Amino acid sequence: MTRFARYAAALIAIVGILDRAGAASAAAARLSIEPPELQFTTADERAQLLVTLHTADGRTLDLTRSATYTLANPALARIEQGYLAPLADGETTITIVGQDESGARLTASAALRVKNAAADPPIHFSRDVVPLFSKFSCNSGGCHGKLAGQNGFRLSLFGFDPSLDYDTLVKEARGRRLFPAAPDQSLVLLKATGTIPHGGGARFDVGSEPYQVLHRWIKQGAPADHGKPVTLTKIRVSPQELVTTRHAAQQLRVIAEYSDGTTRDVTRVAEYRCQANDLMQVDMNGLVTTLDRGGEGTILVRYSGGIEIARFSIPFSQGVPEAAFAAFQPANYIDEATLQKWHTLGVAPSAVAGDEEFLRRATLDATGCLPSPDEVRAFLADARPDKRARCIDRLLERPEYVDYWTLKLADLLQNRKERDHDVRGVKGVRDLHYWLREQVAKNRPWNELARDVLTVRGDSFEHPAVGYYVVTIGESHEPDKSDIPASVAQSFLGTRILCAKCHNHPTEKYTQDDYYHFAAFFSRVDLKRESPEKGPTRLVNDVKRALGSNQPRTGERLNPQPLDRTPTTLANDADPREALAKWVTAPENAFFSGAIVNRLWKHFLGIGLVEPVDDLRATNPPTNPQLWEALSRDLVEHQYDLKHLMRTIMNSRTYQLSANTTPENEHDARFYSHFYVRRLPAEVLADALATATGVPERFSGYPEGMRAVQLPDPSLNSYFLGLFGRSERTTACACERRDDVTVRQLLHMQNGDAVIQKIHDMHGRLAQMLDAKRPSSEMIDELFLAALGRHPAADERTAVEQSLAQAGDQQMDFFQDLFWALLNTKEFTFNH
Amino acid sequence: MFDISLSTRRQRRCDGVSRRDFLRVGGLTALGLSLPQILAAEARAGAAKARAKNVILVYLGGGMSHHDTFDLKSNAPAEIRGSFSPIKTNVAGIEISEGLPKIAQQMDKLALVRSGSHNNDHHETATNWVLCGRFGSAFGDYPAMGACVAHEFGVQSVVPPYVAIPQNPSFTWELGKSAFLGGRYESFRTGDPNAADFKVRDLAPAEPLLATRTERRQSLLHAVDQLARRVHGNDQIATYDEFHQRAADMILAPEARDAFAIDKEDRALREQYGRTEFGQSCLLARRLIERGTRFVTVSFGGWDHHGKIFEGLEKKLPDFDRGFATMIEDLHQRGLLQDTLVAAFGEFGRSPKINKDAGRDHWGHAASLVFAGGGVRPGQVVGSTDKEGGHAIDCPVAPADVACTIYEALGISPQTTLSMPDGRPIQLLDEGKTIKPLFG
Repeated sequence: MTRFARYAAALIAIVGILDRAGAASAAAARLSIEPPELQFTTADERAQLLVTLHTADGRTLDLTRSATYTLANPALARIEQGYLAPLADGETTITIVGQDESGARLTASAALRVKNAAADPPIHFSRDVVPLFSKFSCNSGGCHGKLAGQNGFRLSLFGFDPSLDYDTLVKEARGRRLFPAAPDQSLVLLKATGTIPHGGGARFDVGSEPYQVLHRWIKQGAPADHGKPVTLTKIRVSPQELVTTRHAAQQLRVIAEYSDGTTRDVTRVAEYRCQANDLMQVDMNGLVTTLDRGGEGTILVRYSGGIEIARFSIPFSQGVPEAAFAAFQPANYIDEATLQKWHTLGVAPSAVAGDEEFLRRATLDATGCLPSPDEVRAFLADARPDKRARCIDRLLERPEYVDYWTLKLADLLQNRKERDHDVRGVKGVRDLHYWLREQVAKNRPWNELARDVLTVRGDSFEHPAVGYYVVTIGESHEPDKSDIPASVAQSFLGTRILCAKCHNHPTEKYTQDDYYHFAAFFSRVDLKRESPEKGPTRLVNDVKRALGSNQPRTGERLNPQPLDRTPTTLANDADPREALAKWVTAPENAFFSGAIVNRLWKHFLGIGLVEPVDDLRATNPPTNPQLWEALSRDLVEHQYDLKHLMRTIMNSRTYQLSANTTPENEHDARFYSHFYVRRLPAEVLADALATATGVPERFSGYPEGMRAVQLPDPSLNSYFLGLFGRSERTTACACERRDDVTVRQLLHMQNGDAVIQKIHDMHGRLAQMLDAKRPSSEMIDELFLAALGRHPAADERTAVEQSLAQAGDQQMDFFQDLFWALLNTKEFTFNH
Repeated sequence: MFDISLSTRRQRRCDGVSRRDFLRVGGLTALGLSLPQILAAEARAGAAKARAKNVILVYLGGGMSHHDTFDLKSNAPAEIRGSFSPIKTNVAGIEISEGLPKIAQQMDKLALVRSGSHNNDHHETATNWVLCGRFGSAFGDYPAMGACVAHEFGVQSVVPPYVAIPQNPSFTWELGKSAFLGGRYESFRTGDPNAADFKVRDLAPAEPLLATRTERRQSLLHAVDQLARRVHGNDQIATYDEFHQRAADMILAPEARDAFAIDKEDRALREQYGRTEFGQSCLLARRLIERGTRFVTVSFGGWDHHGKIFEGLEKKLPDFDRGFATMIEDLHQRGLLQDTLVAAFGEFGRSPKINKDAGRDHWGHAASLVFAGGGVRPGQVVGSTDKEGGHAIDCPVAPADVACTIYEALGISPQTTLSMPDGRPIQLLDEGKTIKPLFG
């Protein structure tokens, strides 16, 4: 199991435990202490106790700051708000008294044992000193951590290279940074405490704990790490998951585990970053305070290369009556998972969407097309109870479905012409497009399709997927140094590893070594580009090329190895990409299934379970891990059948909820309590304008009737598609397709000649109805159906008919204005 | 005698402190104030007070060769020197390339910075850096200065606050974008103003409409546009409504159309600017700042001369020379220069050594920048490079310094806080100082 899957599974287990705790409400209020037993074996150790009140109704409240602490032998340790430092050897008991919500006193105790309190233990540079540079942001990218350093002093970014940091401190600047003879005169201490002017200001006080660590290290002669240093294996954060309230406080506790089996409390030395600033704050000591909003968010905790998160749920409302959920009848496992989340967060779903809303949404999402007026009428007339499921089945078999999902995959695989040295030309782009179209038409399983692309060999005529390599390798002569490793990770695994090309990833476990190990899978790719007259571009696995990639910082040659560090051995004449594809598409690779699941989910629901959609990492967990896990499992169990997953999503009640918000759920933007409206993608909007008005768009170089969704080549010159943010496919980032709203778009919708001409066109929908002298009430209906996929509401019909009556004999002008108004509604431009 | 006074004027210390400043504050230090404290206090006061209202940024994308334009080294060996010779300008002691004779005659309105310097040789990364003043990825992690200016000043007139002529700088993808500030602060792109019958797309009414019909459209729209009444808390919906109104205002207001109506300019003046994309872009930039645009980017790419650089520059420099010099003169004559800070630069300079293809390659270590107006003291050179033009040897000016100069000239504090999408607060700039000698 990958780390991500383990993580998700662990969370599910925790959610389960919390629920059971909630059900066992008969118990009386009590205090719990973490840890119940404490042992200090060196004078340097510190410990943070957590004091938790468990209320009679199963809630938890943090009392760490408000409890009182009494040591039976006060000489053994100093304690303040649960934070302990050893003073003298011995054993004693700590008595902790806290108050419950009614003011009643509750008591608990913890055992304490102290050893070696008088000794001066050696300070380890990488274990004890480097984390301080991270804690106080000295080595951040905005300060000394950037490549150029700051004012002549450079540290490795987030301390990823302690030996460089050591040399910089000890050997540079003529030794002025450190004075073992008079440690307090060391430049590094004078600057960090702001005793002498420091661009970054005072980072900590003279005499503070970090000061003492640095001071003692310098006094000990600023020793380097010697011998085989113990390495950090992981950090643990408690609580890892918490359901709390607005305006609540919670102390975190962080434990580091080392390779020699020892552990250390690093609560005050770890770094904390709030990843949901609208919901909560965290201070330097790991105290989290929630604000005035409901939702879920995480605190990122980082220490010495170890990264963890603490996850907070803050219900939107308390005590939402069960009746608010009763109308929602789960149709499948998706609905059960969303319903459970709504319960936890105290947010009730909107009603299920009406038939017109459903049909327009489903047709747009599955096929990229608007439903025709006839389709709307037929669907409304259909009285069968399973008509929605039948409709979904029909939509997923339409040729327009194939067109739309070819476009989606072509975006994902960056299908375009890679500047002038891409000798395949636009033909190569079309070849790949039509190859993808065949795969979609066959409903090719996603793992097989991915394997075909990753291991493609041969010439680009016969194997158009070679184009993926042409585009991502670009001008580079060394594929392992090109964009392809990062592109593959982002497109197929939803993982961003580019940071690690230059330094260890700041929010993920990936190191620079991991990056080059991964890049080494491409070290034998050889692209042979011929001038077009001579033939196609060929991709060969050049077995003469040595396997491996050079890590630029260490100069070490690194062998192909996947990102989870599974040892990999390859035959001398192997194509390393075979092993890569096997690892990528393995059923246990939760990133592979999770990435495509998240993309599909976002496509239909508007917001990914993980956002950004291609930034899956343990520190950026899905908003509903249970749902994410269930969707991934379903996909793997159905042999990566994407259409199966789409059908499951579309049949869920969650997908079919109304876009209309309620005052109680309008602040929810991540948990799917209502359908999230969004602007139509560029190509879909262009096609919608064409079908609504009955006037096809003409794209140069393509036959009339070619829809925007069907265009293979993103470089085709189109003002409209550029304006509405089609993807240029230059990068693997899903963010290249833009869904923002700009003034230029609105100018175009209101006044663009393309829009106005389509309304006026003498062969268009409106002109034909006028020619046929259709009754005006029928025409009103027809225009509503064509543009919005619904009949006018009673008040709309009244307003429109009144306006028509005032128009007198200027019928054509009136209907042009009505059509203009319908096409300028948000209801037209948005999927809802 | 004359030269001496010039050089004392010109040779300021990089921090902008002249010998006279030292003498002046001599008395104050007795009161317990240190020179840095006094200067810091002055700097803070300066940041609040705007020197300029508008900015025209001429972006020389690809990286213009400083060796062949503003920083000639006629004594350098032939493999560095290149084929252009220096000429005198209308400021004694300052020489620039013979390829820029018209700009040479405007030198008394310009200040040169010859010590632009950073350490990045990648087009997109460096372009984002110099356009934002913050270092980030090639894909534009931070909003460009123009977007931040639009964000700070808001919409004050019917013309957009941030305009790119003819479009944003671009190599393979668009740069100079608003990043996390969102579409609201994106540049308004005009298209090529030199195109025959140039009109900004969608601005002129696409059909002649009587006011009654315009009103009817809006009232019908009001009757049928019901989504926002049922869907709350959605930012895209709110933005759509706001922009719908702004777009309607622009279409209906003759001022907006007029701002872009370059054909209303005097024919002779249009010729003087040059009937090229760049020349007319400069002219349109002037027209827009006259009418309320606060930040104009004139994007003039094509300076990436890896091969045959001298042939390339022979073709390219005359356009630049004519358009830029005419714009400076025109702004000056109209009294607009005092309120308008003009800056011209690219993402980097070019390598000293001429390569095997008779070109010069990317070079982040040195570049020349040109400033004018907005309180800039003209007729001076700030900073210099070594004898090969390879590295800045005094007064190195980093991208953050340029951005700081521009923000502070507009009265915007570089410490102004923006909000990242995750809610994280971020300052406009995390480093950088105004290039003080420019204003001394």
